[in-house]
Amino acid sequence: MPETTSQEEASKAFRYPLRWRVMDALNAGLDRLWPARMMPYTGWALITPALLLVGLLVLGLFQMADSSLHTLDRATFLPSEGYTLENYQTVFENATYGRIIWRSVLAAVLTVFFTLLLALPYSYIMVRTSSSAVRKALLVVLFLPFFIGQVVRAYGLLIILGTTGVANNALGLVGIEPIRLLFNFPAVVFGLVQYMLPFAVLMLAPALTAIPRETETAAASLGANWFRTFRHVVIPMAKPGLIGAGLVVGTLALTDFAMPAMLGGGSQDFIANAIYDQFFRTADQGLGAALALLLVVLGSVFVGIVISIFGAGTLGMGGKK
Amino acid sequence: MTATSQRILFWTTVWFCILILSVPTIIVVGASFTTSNMISFPPEGFTFKWYEKIALARDLQQAFFRSLYVSTACLIVSVPVGTLAGLALSRFRIRFSNMIQVYLLLPFTVPLIGSGIGMMLIFGEWRILGSLWPIGVALAVINLPFIIWSVSSAAGALDSDLELAASSCGAGRFETFWYVTLPGIMPGVITGGLLMFVLAMSEFLVSLLLTDARTVTLPVQIYNNIRSIITPDLAAVSSVFVVIALIVVWLLDRLVGLEIFLKSK
Repeated sequence: MPETTSQEEASKAFRYPLRWRVMDALNAGLDRLWPARMMPYTGWALITPALLLVGLLVLGLFQMADSSLHTLDRATFLPSEGYTLENYQTVFENATYGRIIWRSVLAAVLTVFFTLLLALPYSYIMVRTSSSAVRKALLVVLFLPFFIGQVVRAYGLLIILGTTGVANNALGLVGIEPIRLLFNFPAVVFGLVQYMLPFAVLMLAPALTAIPRETETAAASLGANWFRTFRHVVIPMAKPGLIGAGLVVGTLALTDFAMPAMLGGGSQDFIANAIYDQFFRTADQGLGAALALLLVVLGSVFVGIVISIFGAGTLGMGGKK
Repeated sequence: MTATSQRILFWTTVWFCILILSVPTIIVVGASFTTSNMISFPPEGFTFKWYEKIALARDLQQAFFRSLYVSTACLIVSVPVGTLAGLALSRFRIRFSNMIQVYLLLPFTVPLIGSGIGMMLIFGEWRILGSLWPIGVALAVINLPFIIWSVSSAAGALDSDLELAASSCGAGRFETFWYVTLPGIMPGVITGGLLMFVLAMSEFLVSLLLTDARTVTLPVQIYNNIRSIITPDLAAVSSVFVVIALIVVWLLDRLVGLEIFLKSK
């Protein structure tokens, strides 16, 4: 029977493209691994790795809480056996920590104020400009420092603010004696503002984009000058963005390490620096852990207060419409 | 339409911002070409000798490759995990999804020094503290919200009818994902991946806590060297970061457009 053989040959000659077979195999594999009846749980399956990864952080917090409840035995340099709140007592009774916490909070508040003051006009111009080249240039100026990293930026500020640096040379040109611009509180706050500016602008810009231009035109046509338009239209409408930006800038500044360490020169320690010193200089893990945990609580309280005053929804991760 | 006084005030502020944002970078790059042995600006003369010096410095070289290794490890962990989580949050109904979002934002709400010390204790307990890859994992944890955010906003913008159309044309679940969903969310994945890479490359505090003398990454190395003395070779190393940042900004702009960050969510 010659016909059937030719048919067999034809079917032998025809092979599905490799891509199809791979896809079929993968589909079959997926059906095996995750049958269709499991579909309602797919969302959970997809999110589990992320939950586990962040779980690492939560585990770390528990470990920290545990270690904060043991004091350091000065004789053996080992943590004590029993649980005690002594470390927390030390933190609250020691005036040094009070001063450090106060300094961090003050710096955070000042940083939020100055950063928002600068970020609002910047993002407003960036969003509203009619020239796409200007917009792109402003974005690049923003992203470069954001990606360069904190250490290199602080290093740049060190060079500029140093006694023989650019800033003092410029002051020298107008006849002002070199002054010490570094290693003091304003230098740290300036460094923090410079560091936080991109974060703030990037959080404000979407909020400003969402404000229709017409609302401003309407306000202007009703006789409001630009200041009143800004005060009564733009700022209230941008409030979620402003709060979100303030929140992020505030917590990042409150808990910063590098700026006080590099621009403060050891005289302007923040809480993070005190924690680091407890772990790596005095090797008093328990006290360091207690301080770190207090900082976590302080940050959460800060976030909580802002959210309870201004409402939640400022932290949304987006995506869901 | 805008009043002159507004324009003057706003543009003055903008120029001030541009100044304080860019001058440090420009100074660092400029200082790396100076011929004198001290940092000075304007730089005296022009030379590449500091670049030669850092190219030959073994400790800097090793620190640079360690940073690359750590950033790659961070990418390998964070891109799949973040992509799946971003999809789950925007594409699937999950109970308690609000609580999950708050939980997934923990890396941003817990201060870095807290996360870093916590993970240091955990890694110490697990006896993996001296190796490099845990640093990559730690950096993936602390920056995870970035990639979840970028993927979930890309997925939110993707029309879910496309996936239905694909499956009604006979595509299996895997094919639908591979040929429809994944290309659709690719801009989000790329944005997130680039952010994760460059932020891991320049991350400082958590790296400082998790590294020791044998595993210092480049930012930590720079920090250690600044503490002792400021010389132009550090400016040359810092310029490496400027170049990396420039490349990433250019890539982001080419691949997805920087304007993506202005979109209201």
